[in-house]
Parts: sequence; structure tokens; C-alpha cells
Amino acid sequence: MSFRMLSVNLSTGKVEFEDVSDLFSKYIGGTGVLSYLALKDLREDLDPVSPESPIYFGIGPFNGYYPSASKAVAIFKSPLTGNLGESHAGGRFFMAMASAGIHVLRIVGKASCPVYLSIKDEEVKIIPCSSLWGKTATATERILREIEGTKRGKESILRIGPAGERLSRIACVTVDSSRHFGRHGLGAIMGSKNLKAIVISGNRTLRISNWSEYQKLYKEIFDILAYSEVSLKYRDLGTASNVIPLSNTHSLPTRNFSQGFFEGADGISGEHFADEYLVKQIACAHCPIGCIHMGQLREMFAEPHLFRTVRTSYDYEPIFALGSNLGVSKAEEVLRLLSYVERQGWDVMSIGVTLAWATEAFQRGLINTTHTNGLVLSFGDAQTYLKVLGNISKGATEFYRDLERGLGFCVQKYGGEEFAITFGGVESPGYMTGPAAFVGFAVGVRHSHLDCAGYSVDQEFFGKASDPYVEVEKLYKESLWRMVTNSLVTCLFARGGYTMPLVLRGLRVLGVEETEESLMRKARIIHGMKYLLKEKLGFSFDSLKLPEKLTRVYTGRGLVSHKDFDDRVKLYKDKIKEDMAFAQEELKA
Amino acid sequence: MAKRISVLDRERCMGCYSCVYACSRTWGRVAGIEKAALRIKSYSGAEGFFSIRVCSGCEDPDCAKACPTGALRPSKRGFGVDLEKKLCNACGSCVSSCISMALQWDEEDKLPVPCRHCGVCASFCPRGVLGMEEVERA
Repeated sequence: MSFRMLSVNLSTGKVEFEDVSDLFSKYIGGTGVLSYLALKDLREDLDPVSPESPIYFGIGPFNGYYPSASKAVAIFKSPLTGNLGESHAGGRFFMAMASAGIHVLRIVGKASCPVYLSIKDEEVKIIPCSSLWGKTATATERILREIEGTKRGKESILRIGPAGERLSRIACVTVDSSRHFGRHGLGAIMGSKNLKAIVISGNRTLRISNWSEYQKLYKEIFDILAYSEVSLKYRDLGTASNVIPLSNTHSLPTRNFSQGFFEGADGISGEHFADEYLVKQIACAHCPIGCIHMGQLREMFAEPHLFRTVRTSYDYEPIFALGSNLGVSKAEEVLRLLSYVERQGWDVMSIGVTLAWATEAFQRGLINTTHTNGLVLSFGDAQTYLKVLGNISKGATEFYRDLERGLGFCVQKYGGEEFAITFGGVESPGYMTGPAAFVGFAVGVRHSHLDCAGYSVDQEFFGKASDPYVEVEKLYKESLWRMVTNSLVTCLFARGGYTMPLVLRGLRVLGVEETEESLMRKARIIHGMKYLLKEKLGFSFDSLKLPEKLTRVYTGRGLVSHKDFDDRVKLYKDKIKEDMAFAQEELKA
Repeated sequence: MAKRISVLDRERCMGCYSCVYACSRTWGRVAGIEKAALRIKSYSGAEGFFSIRVCSGCEDPDCAKACPTGALRPSKRGFGVDLEKKLCNACGSCVSSCISMALQWDEEDKLPVPCRHCGVCASFCPRGVLGMEEVERA
């Protein structure tokens, strides 16, 4: 297989294609290849929102060939943390990249006015679009689909909302109807480059050398993903099905992680959303699972009987971030807040966790009505939260402008670190299942629940005695395996289907010979490279801390002590140091 | 009796394109959607729904009538069209005459991609949107 990188310099307009097949044979693709490139490119003294700061998008060898290999990876220097920024998104982006024959897209420079990047196969244009500047993420898509949408459902549209234009450190990049490069502030980098959007499509065909074997294997994978137990949860209620089970086990972050049980969980449960608000289930391209759930809100916005309907995709994470963690117990209020966030283009988890901190800071007197322009922040008061979001968009006061710079920044300025729930500088994901989840957020390459799935390790150990060695080993192995799947690049919701034997067969049919040993060797190199990069940018295992507040709340597995947390981090660090040494050796060779 | 591809339950469509991939893979022998004889069209934005553009199997097809060389002719099945590649001059009139935009164009080979009404798209639809329907021959 051959793989290409397209580099675009927005300052000079220079466009360059190059063959990067050797990188794909060494580091599989997706996250592996991008980590290698980022390790060479990113420096500690690089300003993430400067013209030199690169954005990398990448896909892998499975994209376009196998079902639910429907994600693309973005790697960059995070404006939020100053460290490795990595985020994955679905939609059609991977398909458009594959059919344009672009496996890595590298963007540097800064355009002299607002532009969007239009890529159709070999044709790359930087198009001025001043009239799109200031438009919401949703309006931008509507307009660009009209002007560029001549490809009958093939083009993919990435864009930022006003939050990205304001260089909000928690701005996301929205992909097609409802997917996101959410975390780590990629939207701010696009904004800093005057890059409002990217539209990409292509007409290339992807050759199959071993057609009959391919057909057979495809059907096998398809049947597992489309019909078996492994994807049932996502096909039915979606990730929102987590709300009730997590609340019942004291694991649903409620009112800024004050408790894991939410008395209003029924009102924001996956069941309730489905019964009352679900209007459509949709899928990323080439994914038979179809996990995307669209909720619809009908509301009277003016007299006499003037109505609007608002449609927004919902998932567990937005529900935790704007629901339970803000004490909001009505699904329609969650949808209303979510739709505002969606239009502005913030990472919903980061903005939600920051608002929860702000509420507690207000209640403890660290901030007051002078900061908030008279608003009284209270958990559960969704109407006020909507006003807060409006004030942030308008930059109404210095405090509101600070809120969209992320929680780390706010804490430095206003205090309240002990109840700021961040890990590695990133606002926390929504799992209070126990020590494995917290440690996973802290040590994970992306500080995400998706790095090593600590919540599922916790769930396995509910009601059982802790076994830090075994648990840390599980976290490590999961993280390592995800180096493979995130390089291929398959969706994590398909992880039940893509087992090692199927992955090896999948590669073989595409003409790539790997063994379990050779593949895991690559996984270790990728893993090691990521932490080499993280340390180069200032990350240190020794400075990881469990937020003070989390030592006093009952999680799914009871109280978690600093000592337990630190011990586990130490165990994990030892394993990573081996991978780092291994990667360093391999890179020298 | 012959069978024709048909949209049985549009409401169930989630826009996964599994049908499009199946057609392209099976008949075009490529991965992706380029050589497929159908498309799923989504209306812009989160508010959008899906429209399934498969060959309607017209008895008197506009695409065949628009063909200046006789390459595209009504099929012997009694519905739909067959393509004789040698006769095609790649003018594209057939594709633009299909008002429902079901007839696709193979950019690589510069040929229309008429639907064979084989049903492989339906067999890969995870939600039962597409199916085969018995039709009377004309």
C-alpha cells in the first residue's frame, strides 16, 4: 500500500504532496505515524497558536477498507495544556481523506485573512471567506455544503465556531453533522491560522488485491459489528445508557464531582432521552453501528405561538458535563445548553467541567457577582448557565473571557485548585468509578477515559478487593493495544470486533504481513514515542496529582487516597519508562 | 417475475453507507464508494435526514432515452437499463437526465454505473432500509 502526505502552508500558499509509505510501514498509520511526525516537530518553546504550530490529521490502513474504521486522528501541540494534543473524530472525514488519497494532512502557517481550505483530489485551494468569520459552527456547515456540496455525499466539512476564532483554549473542531475533534483546543489553532474550515473530497478508488478473501473477511467483521452483542449498547440507547448504571454505583459526577449519585438521573437518562427527545439515529460513513443519537427540542421562542425546533446530537459525556455535573436534571435543558455549545464550538466536556468549578468557586466566595456581571451561579439553574454561555461568547467581563481559557488558567488566577477537576491540565471525563479511572485519566496519553478505559477496570473490581498490580497492568495493556487500533484507525466502539486475530487477517488481506509480536512491537514504539514527546513538552509522571476533592468523595469503589493514586501512578510510570527506552533505541537504529 | 431493488423503509436509514460500499466492493471490486450504483444523500447539518437514491427501475427510463449512442438501453428484465460499454462516448447525458440523481458516474472509467438490481446493497443494510421487491415484467 502507498501513503501520501499533503502539506499546506497557509502563509505562503505552498502545497506539497509527498510519499510517506515508509512511515506507515514503520508505525502502522493514524496515531502512530502522527506521533512520529509530532515528536520531530513539536518543541517546548513552540507557541501552539503561532503560525509555525502544525496541525496533523491522519488516517490509517484500515480506513476505507473495513467497516467502523471510521475515525481520523488529529495531533498538535495543545493550546490548553501546552503538551501533546490529540483528538479523534468520526463523520466522513476519514472517507474523504482516503478517497482524496491523502493519509496525512499537515497544515502550518497563517493566512492573511479568513480562509477555508478546499481539497478535491489533487486540487488544493485556499479560499478567502471573510463572510464566514463570526458564523456559528452549524451555519458554516450549511453554507459550505451548499457551495461545495456537489459531490453527492462525499465531501467532509471541518470547521470552527466563534469560540475557535476567539482562540478559546477549549475550542473544538466540528466534523460534518455532529462529530468533533473535541479535546485539547484544536479549534484555537485553526482560529490562530485564520482557518475557518476545511472541505475535502476525492474520487480515488481503493484497490483490493485479494478480492475473494477480502469479501469474506469483510462480511465476517460486518456481521459482528452490525448485529452482535459487542455493539448492541451503541446501536440501542447509545452511550447515554451509562447514566443510570453509573449513578446507581456512585460513579456519575454530580455538582462538580461532589458525589457519584445524582438524584435527578432519571430525567437525563438514556432511556428518557430516547423516549422523549430522540428523533434519529445516524452513523459515521462506513459504520454499521450507528451510535449517533439526535435529540430534538421543540420550544416556543416568542408569542404568539412561534416555535423552533433544535436538533443536537447527545452522548453520555455531554450529558454528564452539562447535566449531572451542573446539577441539571432535565433533558430538555441539557439539549438547550448543548445546542448553544455546539454552535459556539467549545469542547462540551471542558466547558461543562469549567462551569461546575465556577459554580463551586462562586459558592465558596472566590468569585462574586462583580465577576459575573450580577449573575448568581447555582447548581441546577440551567437558565443562568445559558446566560453564562452567552456572556462568555460576548466576552462580557474579564472573568467570562477567562472561563473559555480552560480550568487550569482559571485556577491560577482565581484559586480553587482543590476542587478543580483536571488531569494533566485537561478537564476531567465523566467517570467516578474509582482509582483505575482516575489513574487512567492522569497517566493516559491524552488524559482521556479513552486512553486505557480505567472505568471498565473499576467496574470489573466493584465489590472486590483492590489489586493495584493487576489493575495497572490492565490499564497498560489496554493503552498499548489502543496504539494499534488508533493507528489502523478503527473506532473504539468497534473494539469488541477488532481482536488481534481479525486485525492480523485484515492487514494480510491488504498485503501487510504482521505477526502478533511484530505488531505489539510497533505498539510499544508508538507508546514510547508519545511519552518521549510528552516529556519533551514538559509532562512528568511525578507531578501528577489526584485533585484534592476527589479524595473525599465516595466513588464506585469507595474513597481513593493520595497514596493509592500515587502508588498506581508509580507502577504505571515504570512500565512506560521501559517503552520510552525501547522507542528511543528503535529511533536511533 | 423479476426482482427490483427498492427502498422499503426509508425512516430506518442512518446514513452508514454500508450499501454503497457493498455495491462498489462487489461490482467495482474496489473499497470505497466510487463505483457504486447508488448514493445516500444527507441533507445538510445535524437537522438532516437521508434520502436513498437507488435506481427506480423505470419502465421507460429517461437515462436510456437521453443516450445518443444507444449504449444505455432498457433492460431485457423489463425495468432498469443495461450498458454496452463499447458504445458509450462518455457524454454524461444519461446521468444528468436521471432527475432523482440515482444513476451514478464512474469518474475513473468515465462510464455510467447502471444498477444491476442484484440486491447486494440490501444484504449489507444493517437496518432493513433496502430490500428486493417482486415486479411484474412489462
